[in-house]
Amino acid sequence: MINLKNADPTFKWEIAKQEGGKQILKCFGCSDCAASCPVRYFDERYNPRKIIRLTLLGMKDQVLSSPFLWFCAHCHACTEHCPQGIPVAELINAIKNYAVENGYCPEGYKIQVELLQKMGRLYEVEDFDLKKRQKIGLPPVDKTIPEVAKILEKTGILNKVGK
Amino acid sequence: MKKYALFLGCTVPVRAQHYELSARNTAKQLDIEFVDMNGASCCGFPIKAVDAETALLIAARNISIASKMGLNIVTLCNSCTAMLSDAQLELKNNRFYKKFKELGFTYPQEITVKHFVRMLYEDIGVEKLKKSVKVPLNNLKVISHYGCHYMRPSYLYGFDNPEVPHTFDELVNLTGAKSLQYTDKKMCCGGSVLGIDEGLAVTMANHKLNIAESNEADALISICPFCTVMYEDNQRKAEEKFNKQYNLPVLYYPQLLGLSFGLDKNAVGIRFNRVRPNLLLEKIGGQ
Repeated sequence: MINLKNADPTFKWEIAKQEGGKQILKCFGCSDCAASCPVRYFDERYNPRKIIRLTLLGMKDQVLSSPFLWFCAHCHACTEHCPQGIPVAELINAIKNYAVENGYCPEGYKIQVELLQKMGRLYEVEDFDLKKRQKIGLPPVDKTIPEVAKILEKTGILNKVGK
Repeated sequence: MKKYALFLGCTVPVRAQHYELSARNTAKQLDIEFVDMNGASCCGFPIKAVDAETALLIAARNISIASKMGLNIVTLCNSCTAMLSDAQLELKNNRFYKKFKELGFTYPQEITVKHFVRMLYEDIGVEKLKKSVKVPLNNLKVISHYGCHYMRPSYLYGFDNPEVPHTFDELVNLTGAKSLQYTDKKMCCGGSVLGIDEGLAVTMANHKLNIAESNEADALISICPFCTVMYEDNQRKAEEKFNKQYNLPVLYYPQLLGLSFGLDKNAVGIRFNRVRPNLLLEKIGGQ
């Protein structure tokens, strides 16, 4: 049940300011995004149209705290179908970014940010890997890329995820 | 000789060496030179969901490295292709240039980003590739899996048809193998939701494994390391969850292409495939 007394009318403008969120106001709720979504095909708990509709209505807490927001695979099937030309996957991503800013970041992503800070890559390159690479004739790869930590510092992402 | 900067990303150099090895060895056959990108990092895609700007800057730094080398980028992973293409477009539009410059990065020369498979299709071409086929893989029928970020979003790529893709099928068919037409060709592997809900991700992967089985495919052909994680590494999980026995080999496209070029199975790293493609090898000449 939606109670508009709890709505925050500024929410949609906040999303529109985010990277990729600008075009949310064009949505007229046709549901083509949901109809073309491979995740929704298997799990009805994820519904991009519902997320966008709730955002337009201003149901900020409900949207930001929803675990299903994170079910979007960013596959862009919705983007290709949207009759309004909204890059829907980028829009859902903008809502995710805003959720993170408001303290809702799934643990897995926090770990990824930490790994990037530490190594500049997600998978550790162990000596075993380097030996294996050498054995089959592949060139070595950098074990760490410290410049990535500088980028994370510059954008303040570590504070955003609470690290 | 065509020359490219080879972008490896995170997964390929440690978890898909057979993809890298087969890509490098088939490229050699085609007179393509890959130059390694010293100091290249993660592409940025994984944390786009956390903060798009950070992801774009990480991607742009990688582009900066190739730009200084004066070379266009070839990628092996679909998501790396999307993230780097995204940043490349933003660099052209000067969108986040201020922070990019403040970090000391430069973009002296405009470059392009292409997936290895798109590079083969556009820069080499089906006809020329066909001429290099020495051992046509005529007995094989396979499921070609495009993966989402090979052709979507179309505003970023402007390549192939995002609704009815065909370029990869053509590339598979030129090896002599038959690329089967099937429903849900552009279905997502589920890789992007693996970290959020494993059960859902495995259900998504199972869908295509099931299609492969009902079409009696000899293999699924992949062009993305994360799609392979879903279809090969997690195949056992799908089998357990759905009480099935697929035993479906998952080959990277350059492995298939390399075999059709007559490369030895070691040169395309077959022994690193988790689901042993023994039957497939027998079918194409008992290597």
